[in-house]
Amino acid sequence: MTVSGFASPVAAQVTAIEASLLAFVVLTALATALARDVLAAVIVFGAYSLGMAALYTFYRAPDVALTEAAISAGVTTVLLLLTLAKTTRIDHDAVFEEVNLPAAGAAGFLFAGLLLTMGDIPAIGSPDAPVWSNPDVTQWYLTETYAQTHVENTVMAVLAAFRGFDTFGEAVVVFAGGIAALIVLHREVFA
Amino acid sequence: MSDDVDDTDMTDTTTDAAADSEAGASADADSDLPPHRAAPRSGRLDSEERQGTPYTESQVIMPTVKIVAPFAFTFGLFITFHGSGSPGGGFQGGAIMAAVVFMIAFAFGIESTRDWLANTVVVALAVGGALAFAGIGLVPVALGGAFLQYDLLPIPILDPVKYGMEGVEVVGIAPIVSGVLMGLFFLLARGFNSEGSGFGNGSLGEDGSIDETGSLEEDAADAGGDR
Repeated sequence: MTVSGFASPVAAQVTAIEASLLAFVVLTALATALARDVLAAVIVFGAYSLGMAALYTFYRAPDVALTEAAISAGVTTVLLLLTLAKTTRIDHDAVFEEVNLPAAGAAGFLFAGLLLTMGDIPAIGSPDAPVWSNPDVTQWYLTETYAQTHVENTVMAVLAAFRGFDTFGEAVVVFAGGIAALIVLHREVFA
Repeated sequence: MSDDVDDTDMTDTTTDAAADSEAGASADADSDLPPHRAAPRSGRLDSEERQGTPYTESQVIMPTVKIVAPFAFTFGLFITFHGSGSPGGGFQGGAIMAAVVFMIAFAFGIESTRDWLANTVVVALAVGGALAFAGIGLVPVALGGAFLQYDLLPIPILDPVKYGMEGVEVVGIAPIVSGVLMGLFFLLARGFNSEGSGFGNGSLGEDGSIDETGSLEEDAADAGGDR
């Protein structure tokens, strides 16, 4: 919870773990987009989510990593596989999709545009980064969380206490999603 | 692609050629059958052919799940209950606990898991969680405060703010998430109900062959769920 505990000296150069995780994520993302077979795309997408979860853990966002691993790598993959089992799957000879040049050009243009903004982004973990150092939001929550809510996990305090009404809305949205699935599939019972 | 199935009749098309190209098969079937029947039929048979054995008792998967499931479920409970002091919370813990049920369903069969975990449990989790969250939020309102104003919660001895938040996470969010995710899983496994009311009636359920895998269990579940 303290500033000194979090903002440890940041290595200017990318570490080997970081580089391999980033390469893994990029490669699985490309494979997801290019795989001809839907089943292969779903499985590679699960691997991509697992890589993202490891990357979030590496960047010290364990709450996000847990959500990514449970929801994206686990539940979403299972639900997509179930959906594939209920539909038809065409066998392909080719492993990869043919690249659609206009789409690839648009994606490359967007990628280049986003790359241009990279110079202004502060280094990862930098204590001078506005998202970390500003006294009105981040530092206020970090110093006030324990005093006001008596819990150590600031993320949970923001979700359940400071933004509790928003979280209630989100929970109701999840509940409504289940009801909507019942209606769409013309069912009256879940199980 | 459609040349090789041009001269075959419908039965040959559906048994032999459905696996390699139902696009060609449905295009050819247009001459014999109305288009709104041809496409679902060929696709249906292909799906059945692949799903002929939707569940096999694997000697690797079953013991693995037997060993892993208690630990994974305990991890989900820990993530849920310990959300105030460590990363996690009701959403992540609920998702992990629902994933344990998915794991059991993959190891021991979706239909037997469906029977084991009754619809009442799934609905009680989702509805009970939503009501509990709303209830914890409304108690302070009844006592003259704001929605979710935890310090007004009438919790004796313990810290009302901390345990009010824990209550929201443990009996509110985690049951909603786990219940809805389990419900989505079982719903997707059963699929579209062509015998229900609405737009699905005419196009898909005409020949009655679309729902044969789930209709018996569905009738049983309907009978149990309605009473």
